[in-house]
Amino acid sequence: MSEILSPKPMGATIAAHPVGRRQPLIDGIEKVTGRARYTADLAATQALTGVILPSPHAHAEIVSIDVSRARALPGVRAVITGDDCDVPFGILPIARNEYPLARGKVLYWGEAVAAVAADDEQTALAALALIEVEYRLLPVYTHAAEARAPDAVLLHANKPGNMEREVSNSFGDVDAGFAAADLVREESFHYAEVAHGQIEPDCAVAEFEPSSGRLTVQSVSQVPYYVHLTISECLKMDPADVRVIKPFVGGGFGHRTETLPFEVTAALLARAARGAVKLQLSRAETFTIHRARPETDIRLKIGMKKSGEITAVEAEVVQRGGASAGYGIITILYAGALLHTLYRMPAVRYRGFRVYTNTPPCGPMRGHGGVDMRHAFESLMDMMAATFGLDAFAVRRANLFVAPYQTMNELKVSTCELAACLDWVEEASGWRSRKGKLPRGRGLGVACSHFISGAAKPVHWTGEPHATVNLRLDFDGSITLLTGAADIGQGSSTLLAQIAAEVLGLELSRFRVIAGDSALTPKDNGSYSSRVSLMVGNAALAAAEELKRQLVAAAAKRLEVGVEEVECLGEAYLVTGTDRMASYRDVVKSALEVTGPLTARGTYTVPLELQGGKYRGAGVGPSPAYSYAASVVEVSVDEDTGEIKVEKMWVAQDCGVAINPLSVEGQVQGSVWMGMGQALCEETEFMDGRPMRGNLLDYRVPTIVESPPIEVKIIKAYEPNGPMGAKEASESSLGSIPPALAAAVAEAIGVRLPGLPLSPDRVLAAIQARRRDERLKSALGGAS
Amino acid sequence: MARLQEFVLRRPESIEEAVGQLAAEPEARVISGGTALIANLRLGLGSPAALISLERVSGMDRIEVSAKEMRFGAGVTVARLATDDAVRAKLPALAAAALTVAGPSHRSVATIGGNLCLDTRCVYYNQNETWRSSNGYCLKYRGDICHVAPQGKRCHAAYSGDLAPVLLVLQAGIAVAGAAGVRRMPLAGLYQEDGAHHLTLAQGEFVSEVSVPLPAAGMRVAYRKARVRGAIDFPLAGVAMALRMSEGRVAELHVALTGTNSQPMLLTGTEECRGASVDEALADKVGKLVQRQASPQRTTVTTSNYRRQVATAYARRLILELAAAN
Amino acid sequence: MKRLVSLWLNGKRREDAVADNLLLIDYVRETAALTGTKCGCDGGECGACTVLIDGEPRLACMTLTATCDGKRVETIEGLAVGGTLSSLQQAFHEKLGTQCGFCTPGMIMAAEALLRRNASPSEETIREALSGNLCRCTGYVKIIESVKAACEP
Repeated sequence: MSEILSPKPMGATIAAHPVGRRQPLIDGIEKVTGRARYTADLAATQALTGVILPSPHAHAEIVSIDVSRARALPGVRAVITGDDCDVPFGILPIARNEYPLARGKVLYWGEAVAAVAADDEQTALAALALIEVEYRLLPVYTHAAEARAPDAVLLHANKPGNMEREVSNSFGDVDAGFAAADLVREESFHYAEVAHGQIEPDCAVAEFEPSSGRLTVQSVSQVPYYVHLTISECLKMDPADVRVIKPFVGGGFGHRTETLPFEVTAALLARAARGAVKLQLSRAETFTIHRARPETDIRLKIGMKKSGEITAVEAEVVQRGGASAGYGIITILYAGALLHTLYRMPAVRYRGFRVYTNTPPCGPMRGHGGVDMRHAFESLMDMMAATFGLDAFAVRRANLFVAPYQTMNELKVSTCELAACLDWVEEASGWRSRKGKLPRGRGLGVACSHFISGAAKPVHWTGEPHATVNLRLDFDGSITLLTGAADIGQGSSTLLAQIAAEVLGLELSRFRVIAGDSALTPKDNGSYSSRVSLMVGNAALAAAEELKRQLVAAAAKRLEVGVEEVECLGEAYLVTGTDRMASYRDVVKSALEVTGPLTARGTYTVPLELQGGKYRGAGVGPSPAYSYAASVVEVSVDEDTGEIKVEKMWVAQDCGVAINPLSVEGQVQGSVWMGMGQALCEETEFMDGRPMRGNLLDYRVPTIVESPPIEVKIIKAYEPNGPMGAKEASESSLGSIPPALAAAVAEAIGVRLPGLPLSPDRVLAAIQARRRDERLKSALGGAS
Repeated sequence: MARLQEFVLRRPESIEEAVGQLAAEPEARVISGGTALIANLRLGLGSPAALISLERVSGMDRIEVSAKEMRFGAGVTVARLATDDAVRAKLPALAAAALTVAGPSHRSVATIGGNLCLDTRCVYYNQNETWRSSNGYCLKYRGDICHVAPQGKRCHAAYSGDLAPVLLVLQAGIAVAGAAGVRRMPLAGLYQEDGAHHLTLAQGEFVSEVSVPLPAAGMRVAYRKARVRGAIDFPLAGVAMALRMSEGRVAELHVALTGTNSQPMLLTGTEECRGASVDEALADKVGKLVQRQASPQRTTVTTSNYRRQVATAYARRLILELAAAN
Repeated sequence: MKRLVSLWLNGKRREDAVADNLLLIDYVRETAALTGTKCGCDGGECGACTVLIDGEPRLACMTLTATCDGKRVETIEGLAVGGTLSSLQQAFHEKLGTQCGFCTPGMIMAAEALLRRNASPSEETIREALSGNLCRCTGYVKIIESVKAACEP
């Protein structure tokens, strides 16, 4: 019996320390062997094929839909339209204006108008062709300014001016700040919309069981709980009859942080067809689901003293939000709120406009809300520093705060090692000996960025703890960590297991992680806003401590000593100061003798004092911790073609304690590289509402060839609010890259571009404009 | 994943058999490596009743070297062009151009013949059925106007093969197989400036061989490709140049473009550069030739103006570099 | 039209009645139920479906199954012989060459094709060999490190 009870040999008397170790992913073997099952891989041989009828217009009234011929086609099991779901959804309870299938109007090209489930793909597509829709065309607004025009048709009747949200706030005495400045400068910037471009296209499998009336949905989600909630609401089902499972997910980056229309549609189809339906979207359709960083215009004004110290900031941001609300209110609020938490900001006036347009809905993307603003801010700061002859590092250092620090907008920053980050990238890049001395066509730039470690206020306020983790221990001695937090490739399952294993002194081989199955795992708000490491990590820590208490109690009983005399060594429990001990397997046996299989629960709630202020919009910005990064980018630019080559990127990251340094490096590399893609070449584009770059040839995700070496330094730090000192590491570094890269390009070509991306055509145009200016100046100079 | 529409795949083993099958089935399309054709079929571009694969046709994968020329069966893969020792030794610019095509898993199956016959590309054409139908289709396929130049009468889709410009400056010839037998012609004769009908092949014909005269001693050849990324992308513009110098002056100059027009084209007027010394003035002159003859239209998401400028810049640079290398 | 196609899939001989228009990616994923090979785009843009055909890297989404008659097709599932990870699989696991894992099978197969030709490639050669495979998670840094590590004796 004992062999069965103990898969691990007895004898290890030194506790294992998985935290801080370069730990390969707990699910890595599945990924490298092809055994990992993503949604599209689920064995669904009995499933019907679902397909979607997309709108051929970007803005139109639906005059009529006739599905009778489609329904009559043999092999068709269900045809649904907007009539089949009258419940609007949206991630924010205050802004729900999206339907899985369009009702009355279509608001963007490709919006789902009807859906079919059929025995096979051919039949399903044939049925789509039989659906007759009559549209009455409306004017198409692809840019915010068009949609804001006084006579523009409203996309949503209750939103005058097509304004989703107008934000206006002011902290500190802005006018006095500008008056005290030695230089006030204002610049405007334009940012193209970008997309997440996760390699896995969207897919959902829904199975309706007619006899029980229950529904199981498996999907590519980062937020299975919200999917669960939305589907039960939209289908008017008891949530108890719905189960949502998250299989392996092929990347997210924000694309999947809210319930997506196809997920609801798959559920509606399955119920209508009374069976299982697989709804696999194409890459083009996945681009149309979108939810990424919006096209943005920023007007920014900074007041600065000769010392480089910033005295006041005024910013106005217009975001093209797309056709429905989604996270839009949050995005436009972040663009303002995150102005406060990187440098010392004495006074900030912010106006933000989130506008409805006839383009796919935007949403959160890595560095949510802060990235474009960070480019504008760092760029203008560089320009003004140059006026004073200040080095780019000097101007940043002149504005650092010392944590703990409370911002003007009532955010509390407990730790910040940005100064150390700057020191490291300055040294590593050889900045002091090289800056300004590089040959023509080459340049160096530096910038900083940061991000929250989870939004302190959950999107859905329930009063429940912000995170819960269950640890299950049974007779076999293995521990199953149950979490609703979705591992989407960022390594959260590994991190949670590391934290729990560290507390219990066990090796990871004792652990299994089940993440994201509503029938098994506790509800979790999901993987967004970089909340998992800190919030779910703290819950895992609490759960492991609870389990350890139970095991220590069992060990004390077995060893007939008091609990305070027992020391947990992981594979053994020792009576302190003696050589008496009980093996882990015996302790487990003792623990189970009384209670049966154990479940230990741990929760985390953000302390009230870290949940932010009381003003309108104060819910966006607060976090238990903020992570910081500084980056230096080196580029060379071909002046004849405008092509930029990124030679190298150096990044220093303050993420508190790195629970898994291997994973932190990987996250930081991926994050700064994604920032590089936005800076260099990524953009969406619409013509009359039709996507011009809805594929991976024209949406130019960088290849391995032009991707540079990236050197990452994890700065030594400790975040008291984080589990074992940890905070976020996946998003904070992204925003530093576009401005650092742009500054490097500015040095290389002698001119700064007012926005992103720095595509070769734009760079060449800027170089040519500079040459024209130079010619004009020299001609004028010659004449005078 | 979207299934391909139904077709019959034929796998002839000789040129004659292939020609016969093509003659018997006018709706058939020739398929070689398929990297371009299948991508298009997946977008719903075309509905051939049959595909005639040249993969098994004997001799299509041969590379022959003689004292005067290299001959390639049309089925020689782009990967082989890039790596074959003889090609790298005798026609290094061709090997280098081959290495710029797409990525390794395309090149391992894409062929020289297929690349030369690459369909033209356009943002209004290389879209899925939903997209194209919602835009009223276009002149190149199923529609009657060119959205690039609605007032014009022809399709402006751009030719985007990387091998053709190099082969043009090398003065390559091709063999075309058809019902009437095999005819030979200069590669330039394969193309015409019409995006919807950029190949001069008659119904039932296909390119069966490419022959490349070995460059004269001292001839320097190179290809430069403008693209946003370091791999995968088609050329926004590509410039091939062959330059022979004699006593410090231009003895022979050929320049060809891809990505800028509906056909890959040899620039006219380069003979006027003969006898000139290579300097900035000559570079300007060559640049002007490109600027005048390149005619990029709004067929890509990158502006046509940029594509013209970058082609010009590469041509200027190439002549200075090639002259310096002599 | 269907025809009988016989091929070796990961070393095992198979014979299937295959429609002429069946793409290899659908044959591998659905007929043979080997779902390790991924589909990430609408045709030839991302490299996620890279498999080996007679040792050459090929895109399963651009390949007609019927043309694989008599050929050796290898997918990610064929690499771990007798349950032992290949050196590339081991390295991608240990060096974090995989994050979300979706591009990983194609990436590893493209790297496998390279290492069979060249046991100690330069970094430039590695980049060239993987240039058709997009990854959105790693910035490619740890992918390059993984391939290098797999080459170490």
